[in-house]
Amino acid sequence: MKKKISILAVSALASLALSVLPTAAHAVAPTCATANFVTSCQGATSDGALYAMSVPANFNGTLVLYSHGYRYPVDIPAGIPLVGGYKVVKVPEPAPSAAVAKYLLGKGFAIAGSGFAVEGWNADSGIKTDTELIATFKAQFPTTTKVVAWGSSLGGFITQGLAEQHPDLISAAAPMCTVAGSVEGELTMAADVLWGMKTFFDPTIKGHNYSAGAAGYGEAMGDLVKVFTVLGKLQAGVASGAWPDTAGAAGTALAAIPSRSALLLVGLMSGLPTQSMHFDATSGPGPKNSASYTSFALAASPALAVLENIANAAVLGVLATYDVEQQAGGAVIDNSKTDYAARIESEAVSNNAALSGNTAIGGMLSFLNPANPAAPRWTADPAAVTKMRALASHTGKINVPTIALANVADPAVPAGNVQWLADRYAEQYAHAKGVAMATFSKTGTYTAVRKSFLAVWSVPPTIYTKFTNTGAPDTSGPAANGTGHCGYTDKQLMAIVDLATNAAATGKLMSGGPLYTVIRKAGGFSIDPGFRAPLLKFYNEQ
Amino acid sequence: MFALRRTKRGVLASATLAVSALALSAIPAQAFSVHAETGVTATQIKLGITIPLTGSAAPGYSKIPSAMQAYFNYVNDNGGVYGRKISLVVKDDAYLPTLAVAKTNELILKDKVFAVVGALGTANNKAVAKSVNLGRRGIPDLFLNTGYSGFADAKKYPTTFSLFPSYIMEAKIMGQYIKENFAGKKLGLIYQDDDFGTDALVGFKQAGVKFDVSVPYASGSQSAQSAQGWIGKLKAAGAEVVVMFGVTTASGAALATAAAMAYKAQWILGSVGGDATTLKAVGVPAYVLTGAMGASFLPAPTDTTDEYVKFFQGINTKYNGDAVFDNNVLVAMNTAMMTVQALRAGGKNLTHASVMSALENSGSSFASASLSPINYASGVHVGYSGYWFGTYNSAGELKPNGGAYSVYTTDSGAGAIVKSTFKRPALPANGLPTN
Repeated sequence: MKKKISILAVSALASLALSVLPTAAHAVAPTCATANFVTSCQGATSDGALYAMSVPANFNGTLVLYSHGYRYPVDIPAGIPLVGGYKVVKVPEPAPSAAVAKYLLGKGFAIAGSGFAVEGWNADSGIKTDTELIATFKAQFPTTTKVVAWGSSLGGFITQGLAEQHPDLISAAAPMCTVAGSVEGELTMAADVLWGMKTFFDPTIKGHNYSAGAAGYGEAMGDLVKVFTVLGKLQAGVASGAWPDTAGAAGTALAAIPSRSALLLVGLMSGLPTQSMHFDATSGPGPKNSASYTSFALAASPALAVLENIANAAVLGVLATYDVEQQAGGAVIDNSKTDYAARIESEAVSNNAALSGNTAIGGMLSFLNPANPAAPRWTADPAAVTKMRALASHTGKINVPTIALANVADPAVPAGNVQWLADRYAEQYAHAKGVAMATFSKTGTYTAVRKSFLAVWSVPPTIYTKFTNTGAPDTSGPAANGTGHCGYTDKQLMAIVDLATNAAATGKLMSGGPLYTVIRKAGGFSIDPGFRAPLLKFYNEQ
Repeated sequence: MFALRRTKRGVLASATLAVSALALSAIPAQAFSVHAETGVTATQIKLGITIPLTGSAAPGYSKIPSAMQAYFNYVNDNGGVYGRKISLVVKDDAYLPTLAVAKTNELILKDKVFAVVGALGTANNKAVAKSVNLGRRGIPDLFLNTGYSGFADAKKYPTTFSLFPSYIMEAKIMGQYIKENFAGKKLGLIYQDDDFGTDALVGFKQAGVKFDVSVPYASGSQSAQSAQGWIGKLKAAGAEVVVMFGVTTASGAALATAAAMAYKAQWILGSVGGDATTLKAVGVPAYVLTGAMGASFLPAPTDTTDEYVKFFQGINTKYNGDAVFDNNVLVAMNTAMMTVQALRAGGKNLTHASVMSALENSGSSFASASLSPINYASGVHVGYSGYWFGTYNSAGELKPNGGAYSVYTTDSGAGAIVKSTFKRPALPANGLPTN
C-alpha cells in the first residue's frame, strides 16, 4: 500500500483535476492545460477508465505508457492489518512514481496511464484500455512516433499482453514484477498458502470457494482477520515452537514438531521465497561462531521470512482469489491431486534443519496426505475453471524488445513469472537460430539472431537481518533490495525505462558495456544469464 | 564472399571470411569466436571453494582450504599446470545452504573462477545445484566434500564429480562388518536426519542390519544438551554397539555425553564424524575415543609408512604452517592432487569441457592416496567406492583392524560387498603429477 501513496503523488504532479471527471462508461475527450512547459491532459476512454497524459514542451516523439498494478476491487474495513480502510480508487497512474514521471518528462518523453475501467484482475479490459489510450494520445499529439509500454505486477501482465496482441502499437516493453502466463499460477500459489494455513493452523479459514455477493465479501474479510491472527500467534511461537491454539488436529498430531517448521513447509510447498524484507535466512544475532547465530540462521530465520512474506502477500492472495472466483462463478483451484512431497523435494534438503529433519518432514507431509480426513483437499468448479482460463493469458512470445524486471524474493508475484517469460523466449530464440542456421546451410548467408529479451533480476544482499541489542530481530528498517513486491527504487525504475526507451529508439536491446553501466548504476541488479529463478509451483518444475 | 555478423560479445562484429575456407553446412556461429575459458589466463587457473570456516561445522573442516592451497603452492613453485599457477578463492558458507548459494554465486560472477572444487556438505551442494545451477552453466563442480549418493546422477548434475564413496556404500560396508563382528549384540544408531543420514539408512538396510534403537537428529541441532536425549534413549534400549553417522560436532557431543553419563558401548564412527584431532578439539578426551572404531578410504593420517601420507606431511610442514596433520588435511591435499591431475588432463587449452571429458576418460588412473579404486568413466561421476575399518588407540590414532588395511568395495545399489584387490598407483615423483 506504500505504492498508493506515491501513486497519488504522481497524480498531483500531473496537475490533474480528477474530481471534475465523469465516471460514465463513454469516452471523454482529453482536456488539457499547460503549465511549466508541460501539457497535462485528462479524460476517459470509452470504457470509462480515467486517464492522464503529460507531454513536455520538448517532446521527443516517444510516449511511455504505464499500466498500474492490481488494485483491490473492494473496500477493506478498518481494523484489517496493513490495508484496513482501503477504498477502491480509479485514479490514473501515468508513471510508477513522481520522481520517475519528472525524470521522463525532463528527458522529453511523454507519459500516460489510466486507472483502468474496473479494478481487480482486469487484464482483458486493461489491454483494451491501453490500446484505446494509445490511439487517443496519438490523435491528441500527432508528432508521436514511438510508444514504450511498461507496467508493474498486473500492469506488467497487461504490458506483455499488449505487446503480444498489438506489437504494431509499441516499440518496446518493460513488464516489471510481473505476473506472466496466466492468473492460474498465481492463484495456485495463493491457494497452497491458504490451504496450508487452514490445514495446519486454523481449520476455520475458508481460503477458497467464497460465496457470491455480500456473503463472500464477508467470508474474505473474515479470512484476512484469521490469517493475520494466526500469523501473530506463529510469530509468538517461533522460538518455543508452540502451535497456535487454533490449530486443531494438526496441533495435536504434530505437537512434537516446532510450528515454525510447519509454517516453513507451507511456504516451501507454495513456492514462497525464504528471504523476505527483513529476514535473510542466513544470519543470526551475536558473533558468527556463536550457537545463537547459527541456530537463528538455520532454524528461525527461514520461517520468519516465510511469515513476513505471507503477511505481505496474504491480502492479495485472499482478495485475488475472491475476485477471480466472483468473475468465474465458483472455485477455480483444485489441489485434490497435488503432490506436496514432490513439490518440496529439493527444498527439503536445503532447508532440512529448519524443517526439523526428515522425520519431521515425513510427519508433516503425512498429515497433508489426501487420505487424512483432517486435511481435506479442495476441488474446483469445472465451469468456473473454464471461465478463468478464458481470461487473458500470455503465449510468452516476444514481439518487441522487452526488458523484464523481477525481485528475486518477491512474495506476491515470484520471480518465477519472469523466468517463465525467459524460458518461452529461450525457446523462441533457439527456434530462430535454428532457422538462421538452416538458411545458412542453404544459402551460405548467416544472419545472427538478435536477442530481444532481457531479464533483470533485483537481488537481495546475502546478509541484511538487523538485530536489537537484546538479540531480537529488528524489522523497523527499510526492506532489503530484491525483496517485497515491486518496491523498486526510483533509480532502478529509471534504469529500466532508460533501457526500454533506448530499445524503442534503436530497435534493439542495449548490450555490452553500455548495458552493464546502466545495470551497475541502478544498484542491486543482476543480468547474469546463468541465473534461474524457480518457476511457480503450478508448473511442477523439479 | 559472405558477411558474418555477430553481436554477441562483439568478438567478430563484422568478419568477412572466404567461403572456400568453410564447410558451410556444418559450421555454427560459435565456431568463429575466439574463446578463453573464464578463470583461465596464460598464467593462472582460478578455482573456488565454499566451506564452513565459522559456525557449527567449522571445527576440522575449516582446515581444508589452507591445506589445499598448500599443495597448490607446492605445484605452483614447481611450474604450475602447464605454466599456470593455481589460486583458490575461499568462501565461508558457515554450513548454511543459503550462504553456500550466495558465496558460490560470488565465486562465479564476481571472482569468475574456472571451477568449484571440494565444496562441502550435502544440503549446501544440493542447494547450490538447484539455485546456482552449475550444470546449466557448464561449470565443473569437482570432488565434492560429501558422499551423498544423489550426486551420482550425471544427467541431473552433469558437471558434478564426487570423490568420496557414497554414504550408502559406507553404510553397506559398515553393516557387513557389524554383522560379522557383533552378531547378537543390541545395536543403536545416531544419524543426521537428512539426505546424509537417509543414505546411511538405505545402506544399512541393503546390508541387512536392523537397529534396536535409532536416534535421528536434525542438522544443526547437535549440542551437549540434545546429546543427553540421544544417550538417554540408547541407554534405555540397552544398545551395546552404537553407530554414529553424523558430523564431527555431533560425534563429539555424543561421545563426551556418553562418558559423562557413564554409558559404555562399542562406538563405530562414520568417516564424516571420525576425525580424531577434531574430536579432541571439540572436547572429547582421548580415553573416550580409545577403542572406538572408525572407517576411512584414505590411509590413517598418522601412518608415516604410507608414501602419500609422508609426502603430504612434508608439504604440510613447508607450505601449511605445520598445522596438525589430520584426516581433514589429508583429504584436502589428496583432493588438491586430484585437481592438479584433472587440470593437466584437461590440456594446455584448458576448458570446462576438456576437464570433464578428461575426468571421464582418464580419471580412474589418477594417482591418489585413497586405498579404494577410482571409478570415473563415461557417465560415471563417483570416484571412490571402498572403506577399511580400524580402531582408535589411546593416542587417538585409527589403526587398521588386523594390522593391515583391508579395503572392501561396493556400489550404491544392491551390488555385492567385495574385498578389494586394488593396487594403488605409486606417488608421482616428488608428488608432482605428470599425467
